[in-house]
Amino acid sequence: MKPNIEEIGSLLALKRHERPEEGYFDDFLREFHQRRRAEESMKRGPAGWWKQASEWVSNLGASKWAYGGGMAYVAIAAVWLLVPRGADTKPPPATNVGHDVRVPAPVVEQLDALDLRSTTQGRTGEQEF
Amino acid sequence: MPDDSLQPDPDEDLVARARSGDTRAFDALILKYGEKLYGLVYNMTSHKEDTHDLLQDIFAKAYHSLPRFRGQSSFYTWIYQIAVNITLNFLKKRKRRSGMSLNELDSSVQQDPALIDSSHMANPEKQSKLHELQKRLNEAMLSLSEAHRTVVTMFDIQGIPHAEIARILNTSEGTVRSRLHYAHLHLQSKLQDYWE
Repeated sequence: MKPNIEEIGSLLALKRHERPEEGYFDDFLREFHQRRRAEESMKRGPAGWWKQASEWVSNLGASKWAYGGGMAYVAIAAVWLLVPRGADTKPPPATNVGHDVRVPAPVVEQLDALDLRSTTQGRTGEQEF
Repeated sequence: MPDDSLQPDPDEDLVARARSGDTRAFDALILKYGEKLYGLVYNMTSHKEDTHDLLQDIFAKAYHSLPRFRGQSSFYTWIYQIAVNITLNFLKKRKRRSGMSLNELDSSVQQDPALIDSSHMANPEKQSKLHELQKRLNEAMLSLSEAHRTVVTMFDIQGIPHAEIARILNTSEGTVRSRLHYAHLHLQSKLQDYWE
C-alpha cells in the first residue's frame, strides 16, 4: 500500500523537530569568531594583531576591567623585577690612573695644633673654633 | 515567512549594523537563522559534522559578502541562496569522492538521535515504529536527486512556500511544483513496502 501525498508530508514534517543539541550555537559563535579573526589577521599581517586584540577587548564587556587590572598588575610586577634598584647597583671597576697619588698628611697632627681649651666667653659645653 | 515584494526587510537594521562592523549584530543574525539553516543543510547532507562545517562556511561567506549585499532581496532569501549553493556544491564534490558511499551515510543517519521525534519518546512501541519509518524515509530522501531533495527539504520539512523557494533557487514556481511532484512520487514508491 502506498502512502498518499498528505501522509508523506506529515511524516516529513516530523523532521522539523530535529534540532542541534542545547548550547550548540554558543560554541558555534565562538568557533565562527575564532575562524574570522584568524582569517583577518592572516590577511593583514602584524598590523592585524593589534586590531584583533583591541576588538577582543571591546567584545569582553564588563570583564575587560578585570583583565585590564590584571594586565596592569603584571606590568608593574615586571617593571619592579626588571628595573635595577639602588642596593643592587655596584660601583664601576677601578682603573689604573697611571701616576703617583700623594697621600695627604695625617689629620691627627693638624688636630694637635688646635687649641681645644675652653674659653671664658663660651657657655659650658660650647666651644669656639 | 518574509515576503520580499510586499514588506520591508525585517533584518534591515541588523544587516546595516553588521555591515558597519558590529559583530554582535551579525551574531544576532546567526542566532535568528542558524537553526533553520542547520535543518536545511542537515536534511540535505544527512551528516552532522558536514552540517557544522558547511554552516560555518555559509556564515563566513555571508559575513564577507555583506558589503556587496544590495538589499534587492531580503537577508533571509539571500542567506538561504548562499546556503543552498554551498550545500549543493559540497554534495557534488562528495558524490565524486570515492570514500563516502551511500551506505555509510545511511548508517550514520540511522544512528543519529536527532532523527527520533521526541514527542513519541513516552510510547516505546510507537516510537520504535516511527523510528523504523523515519529510517526508511531518510533512506528514501537520500535516494532523491539533490535538486529534488532541496525542494522537499524546504517545502515539506521547513514549510517554505513555493514562491519563496522559487526566489531562493532563482527558478519558476512551476519548476518548484514539478520537482516536488516527482519527488513525492519517488518517496511514495520507496515507502510503499513499509506503509500499513
